[in-house]
Amino acid sequence: MSLTINTTINGKSVSGSAETSTSLLDFLRDTLEYKGTKLCCNTGECGACTIIYNGMPINSCVTMAADAIGAEITTIEGLADGDKLHPVQQAFIDTGAVQCGYCTPGYIISVKALLDRTTKPTAEDIEEAVSGNICRCTGYNKIVDAIHLAADRIAGRA
Amino acid sequence: MAKAEFKIIGTSPARMGGVERVVGKGVYGIDLMLKDQLHGAILRSQYAHAKVVSIDTSEAKKIPGVHTVVTAADAPNVRFGRSYFDRHILARDKVRFMGDPVAAVAAESPAIAKQALKKIKVVYEPLPVAIDPEEATKPEAPTLHEDMPLPKSIPADAKLKNICGHAVAHVGDAEKAMAEADVVVEEVYETKMIHPQYLEPRIAAAQMEPNGRLTVWANAQAPFPVRQETAKTLGLSLNNVRVISAGLGGGFGGKGSGITSGAAIEPICGLLAIKAKRPVMIVLDKAEETISTTIRAGAKMYIKTGVKKDGTIVARTGKVFYDAGGYSGFGVQAGGRCTNMLGGWYLMPNCHIDGYTVYTNKQVCGPVRGPGGPQAAFAVESHMDSIAAKLGMDPVEFRLKNTPKPGDKIVGVPKLRDVSLGETIRIAKEKIGWGKVKLEKNQGVGIATGSWIESAGPGGGAIVKVNEDGSVTVHIGKIDMGTIPGFGIPMIVAEELGVPVEDVTVVNVDTDASPWDAGTVGSRGILVSGTASRLAAIDARNQIFKMAASQLEASPDDLEIVDKQIRVKGTPAKAVALATIATNAHNVIGEVIGRGYFDNVAAVAEEKQHGSSQPFTAHACIVEVNPDTGNVKILKYVAVHDIGQPIHKAAVEGQIEGAAAMSIGQALCEQVVFDTNGRTMNPSFVDYLMPTINMMPRIETTLVSGYPGAGPYGAKGAGEIACVPPMAAIANAIYNATGVRIKTLPLSPENVLRALKEAGKA
Repeated sequence: MSLTINTTINGKSVSGSAETSTSLLDFLRDTLEYKGTKLCCNTGECGACTIIYNGMPINSCVTMAADAIGAEITTIEGLADGDKLHPVQQAFIDTGAVQCGYCTPGYIISVKALLDRTTKPTAEDIEEAVSGNICRCTGYNKIVDAIHLAADRIAGRA
Repeated sequence: MAKAEFKIIGTSPARMGGVERVVGKGVYGIDLMLKDQLHGAILRSQYAHAKVVSIDTSEAKKIPGVHTVVTAADAPNVRFGRSYFDRHILARDKVRFMGDPVAAVAAESPAIAKQALKKIKVVYEPLPVAIDPEEATKPEAPTLHEDMPLPKSIPADAKLKNICGHAVAHVGDAEKAMAEADVVVEEVYETKMIHPQYLEPRIAAAQMEPNGRLTVWANAQAPFPVRQETAKTLGLSLNNVRVISAGLGGGFGGKGSGITSGAAIEPICGLLAIKAKRPVMIVLDKAEETISTTIRAGAKMYIKTGVKKDGTIVARTGKVFYDAGGYSGFGVQAGGRCTNMLGGWYLMPNCHIDGYTVYTNKQVCGPVRGPGGPQAAFAVESHMDSIAAKLGMDPVEFRLKNTPKPGDKIVGVPKLRDVSLGETIRIAKEKIGWGKVKLEKNQGVGIATGSWIESAGPGGGAIVKVNEDGSVTVHIGKIDMGTIPGFGIPMIVAEELGVPVEDVTVVNVDTDASPWDAGTVGSRGILVSGTASRLAAIDARNQIFKMAASQLEASPDDLEIVDKQIRVKGTPAKAVALATIATNAHNVIGEVIGRGYFDNVAAVAEEKQHGSSQPFTAHACIVEVNPDTGNVKILKYVAVHDIGQPIHKAAVEGQIEGAAAMSIGQALCEQVVFDTNGRTMNPSFVDYLMPTINMMPRIETTLVSGYPGAGPYGAKGAGEIACVPPMAAIANAIYNATGVRIKTLPLSPENVLRALKEAGKA
């Protein structure tokens, strides 16, 4: 069965049709062509597909497209203000946290959600916020550096 | 060039392509969408070993929306492979692992393609399976390849089978020296298969062009070998195949199509596109990936070492059984490296090791991050601690006692030029607080070292074009998966041409236009493309100076480029813009095009004369073992590396930390698990455990300087070596904490607890 899905993505009203069995990730990537959100494990384990859904970071691969009806969604495409990058985006570049970059959109979304809650995250806060985001390139050092740098910049400490 | 003279080398500018990646506009293979594309899917064997009796595709072809179904009968009967031509792109007669491709379909949607796969009727005649590489060599084991001969070096009466590679590390008279040793330690170590688990799934897309050429899009690490393999298996000439590289979301040697008889998805996709007369794209499912693409193989290693009472090593003997999987793949090369490295990287006057790479009914061995090295190092460096314990000697002192000096030889390397091993050990010792740090109950400290050589192989070229505005476009044959094309290459070219690094663009590989290259593997990015790009930039600069010289009424030797201005040295007012010269070039030489290449023959000759300048490393860690659960927590981890002159410092650290993380994963949890029928028990990310941020310690990286390598400005490859020591460093720390030596990976809670119980310590 095909559904018409009216939703809000990055502040813009959008509409598309999807099967009842379609995941939100496939709807975003294949129907609406928001390709910044990445496909990887399709089982909710790796976090590459993380988006912000009604204020909460979620794995879009294990969420149904139908759940987008009436929802407010933020994807990686919605973070920058024109040419001005979001502080989290800029911090990932500045610390060298972007190697292959495939986990990066999901990571940045998870970190943005964290820093929206607190700009003074503890080590435990960080672990909890990104424990669902796997990075296979960095060994996590530079990602942690990026999170601290972004937090400091948002809070005006750097 | 002295370090102080660098403007850009050794700094950490923003990665080329960084902005696209953080805003979600980075284009990876998986983001491609060809006009009118069909969706390809592959039917994979449900048996690890079976005869294919018949394949009936008639029902699948009848499904509306299915455009084509192909089997081996639709492709030329051509075998491919690296060491042996032992594989077809689609199984003919036999399947040799669960995941071996049998048929493929192209359909209007992924759902229809999946439905069609279910309608293909394959009749199999199951055969006994060979899972363990050592067991597979015995006469009673099933035969995997009836028509593949044993390597010539194996005696006919050896009663061995299923062997596709035989490597030896024979030095001096090991038997005699072993008999004269004061202390002999003999052990057996084993590592298991892990999957590189790059996050971006593998894809292939293909399209027949109206002129009869085949265009292939690949997220593969070696576009030129993909072209070679695709052309060969589909019966096309090389000029009729064009391979375009998409950005790669990780690779780690696992996306090595063309350099190993691995997944073969590019030729399969090409075959579908030819038959369907429509563009086709295949995207592998992650669980499908785990069972079908190339992996870091497991190895069983017998190791025996004789030492004198004072700690001098006098002899080593051993045997390696290295798992190739169903086809030779990269197994012969990796098994050979493992065999050599089992001889260690310390002074070793006598050595006798035989290594066998063995066909088993599992997925194929690839050149995954340090192929053969991490496995050997787990055995060698755990064994070093066992010997030290038996001697009653400190593990650090024992290693330092046997450390080679410049000019010495080690197993597999006739002569060393500089040797940073001792310094890396001493720094790791100090950073971890060896002998000083206060360890609590159940805590232990461990150290392990490693080395790696930038594997021998063909070179590769670079083309540097200076555009009429003074910006620069660079073509190399290496792909961007978070490695040098986005980090080091723009810096090298900017350094030589006196332009800002952001004015240099490195173009993605297109085999129609890029210089040939063997692939982004073997820690050779900086050595091959770094050297080639530097020489190409110098060539371009020479052309520029020649044209500017007459205009500035100076000798070309007296010129320099600073901030895109060509100036007379010492007289900065006498200058002309780089843009002016590059534009004027249109009237003189057409265009400023510098060309450079890495001369592998010269590099080998240089090494023969002056010795190997290979990198060394030492890692040390402190762990805490929970005796109730077997859980191992890493409390502190230091990684000390000599990688020569770092080009992009942050990128080098990132390579080291990421490589260490992969082997820490293999140490603590990663493993592809098989049942007795050869079925993978943990194909999805739900069951395949790998390190998340929770289990990773902060890796404290130290770069050692003063040991220049063979790369540009004295750089050495940094992508693989940090994979070498972690497993043994952690195993040694567990031994230090508990007194229990665990010789089979992973050091998972289950295995650690079992070992503690067997030793009566839990």
